[in-house]
Amino acid sequence: MIPFGHALAFAGALFVLGLTCVLLHRQILMILIGVEIMLNGASLVFVAASAYWRQVDGQVFAILLMAVTAAEVAVALAMVVYLWRRKRTLVADEFNGMHG
Amino acid sequence: MNESLLFLIPLLPLFCAVINMLFGMRLPRLFTEVLAVIGVAGAFGLTLLFWDYAEGNGSRAVLFTWLNSGTLNVSFALNFDRLAAPMTLMVTGVATLIHLYAIGYMREEADYARFFSLLNLFVFAMLAIVLADNLLVLFLGWEGVGFCSYGLIGFWYRKLENAKAGTKAFLVTRVGDVFLGVAMLWLFALTGTLSISAINAQAASISPGVVIVLSLLLLLGACGKSAQLPLMTWLADAMAGPTPVSALIHAATMVTAGVYLLCRFFPLVSLSAVAMTAITAIGALTAIYAASCAMAQRDIKRVLAYSTMSQVGYMFMAVGAGTVAGAMFHLLTHAFFKAVLFMAAGCIIHQAGGENDLFKMGGLFRRGPTELFWVFLAGAACLAGLPLSGGFFSKDGILLALYTHADPVFRVFWLIGIVTALLTAFYTFRLVYLVFAGEWRGSGSPHDLPWLMRWPLWPLALLSLAGGLFNLPALVGGGEALHHWYGTMAGRTLTVSPDVEWMLAGLAAVVAAMGWLAAHWRYRNYHAPLENPLSRFLLSGWQADALLDRLFVRPFNAMALFSWIGCDRTLFDGSLEGLARTSTRCGALLLRITTGRLTTYLSAFAWGFLILLGWFLLKLVEGGGQ
Repeated sequence: MIPFGHALAFAGALFVLGLTCVLLHRQILMILIGVEIMLNGASLVFVAASAYWRQVDGQVFAILLMAVTAAEVAVALAMVVYLWRRKRTLVADEFNGMHG
Repeated sequence: MNESLLFLIPLLPLFCAVINMLFGMRLPRLFTEVLAVIGVAGAFGLTLLFWDYAEGNGSRAVLFTWLNSGTLNVSFALNFDRLAAPMTLMVTGVATLIHLYAIGYMREEADYARFFSLLNLFVFAMLAIVLADNLLVLFLGWEGVGFCSYGLIGFWYRKLENAKAGTKAFLVTRVGDVFLGVAMLWLFALTGTLSISAINAQAASISPGVVIVLSLLLLLGACGKSAQLPLMTWLADAMAGPTPVSALIHAATMVTAGVYLLCRFFPLVSLSAVAMTAITAIGALTAIYAASCAMAQRDIKRVLAYSTMSQVGYMFMAVGAGTVAGAMFHLLTHAFFKAVLFMAAGCIIHQAGGENDLFKMGGLFRRGPTELFWVFLAGAACLAGLPLSGGFFSKDGILLALYTHADPVFRVFWLIGIVTALLTAFYTFRLVYLVFAGEWRGSGSPHDLPWLMRWPLWPLALLSLAGGLFNLPALVGGGEALHHWYGTMAGRTLTVSPDVEWMLAGLAAVVAAMGWLAAHWRYRNYHAPLENPLSRFLLSGWQADALLDRLFVRPFNAMALFSWIGCDRTLFDGSLEGLARTSTRCGALLLRITTGRLTTYLSAFAWGFLILLGWFLLKLVEGGGQ
């Protein structure tokens, strides 16, 4: 049995890694990958907590999260294709049409 | 026939005015003119028919209830009593002759329907004042007179100064109306009724201090309509209107309304000695002021306008001296001779080819129809107060009342009255000499005088000469008919020894003769007008316009300018616009944050997340410490 603290530390490290990826990269694809990593960190916390308190809710929520992530990736990739068609680039800062 | 039919007297001119207003231009011209005359002449005839109803305590007819709300009960009530009956007869009678004259005068005017309907409406409004038993009805007439004078003085509105004169008359009289309105509301608050007879009946129960203020308010209201100091500036400019209008304003309607108002409220006003002195003082000051101005005027109609002001001042003096009969007597004779003077002046201007300037006339005795001279002379004799003319007796009665008043200060007013009489005789005969004597100095060619402009002068000339018979003093064997007719309303009865009376009559005659002689000596041979500061000062009416302009109009304009620029523009607009500008600037600052870049937003998320995390950690540490 893995101690709860180890699991939390691992999930936190995963989350911070994902966040770093999101913040440092300029490519949309890399940002999306960072987001996926952060989401996986979060779902790991759910699973660990579910094991620790012996409650099944956390695992249910982790599965739900997978479904949501899959949907999100589908939409996000569709938009990436669309953005590529518009500007032939995937650098996030190029798309600043919403500036004030 | 009963008293409920009294409403027909004012209704007839109103009816004809409305018909002319709505259909006047579609109807044949003759029909419009005849209808206008019928409206007034019919009212005259009806007044004669109803004459008996005025006797005793008069008749009161309630037409309908106008307003009924709580304690406020305004009934459209007419009061045909001893005070109203002669006034009604005079207004309708003189107005009928003026209407006939106007048909001749306006025969080339294209806009005749507007003219005649306004003229009829004017008479209606005046009759509403005269016959009203309710203050609100009186106020209706009061404002109606103001409106009609505005419309008629500015009748030829295409010339800007005419329109301005109309506006001036309207606005200046409106100042007086405000005071009348205040008095009206106050009387209602005190007595709970607007009926004039009921107010007069309760007058004694009002506290003396309030009576003084109320009387002064009424006086100021009367000053506006009657062109007394300090609200007199409109009358001289009112000459911009057609001559029949001037005759109507000066003789029959409008300027006499103020005197009539004071006579109507005499039971109230006479309770306060202060107010009576104030009325006399206003009258005396206006009389001498206007007479001095009339001496220097160059426009024939302006001379007559200032003489009206001066004569109305006499009427105020009479009211102040406590003799209503004397005031009404002078009002009646003045109506006759001023109507004839104005109408003759209209003929004179026609004969002089549209020339108003006295110094460009002259020689009209030889040039024009001689009858013009005689009728004008008849009016002038009355105005100057030559012995045995109507004006002599009425003016003498007023001077007698002033002389015999118990208060010594009235002697001063009497003296002013005598001096004014001297000036009046002088400027009247100056007018006569400048117009009729010597050689023709003008350039215009005479227009022909229609028949209708000539014959209405005759009855008026005779009436003004014989006007004394209405109230011939007992001294010369008369019956003082008017004084007896008014009965209890006549005011003070004068008890003087015949010696004093003879002395005063003799003095008045001497003064009139002196004025005539002075004018004879000065103007028998033509003199060019004097050009010195004094005559310029008098010509401009003591610079009253400039003075009022400086005292009231300019401060008012400055205040308006301050409100506009200082308050509205700077304070309100400035603060609101400043607020808007600050908001815009804040928005521009915030705008800089929204770069539209995804990375900026993402790092903002991260920072926000960090801060939240830090906050929760802090809470956790604090919670752990407990």
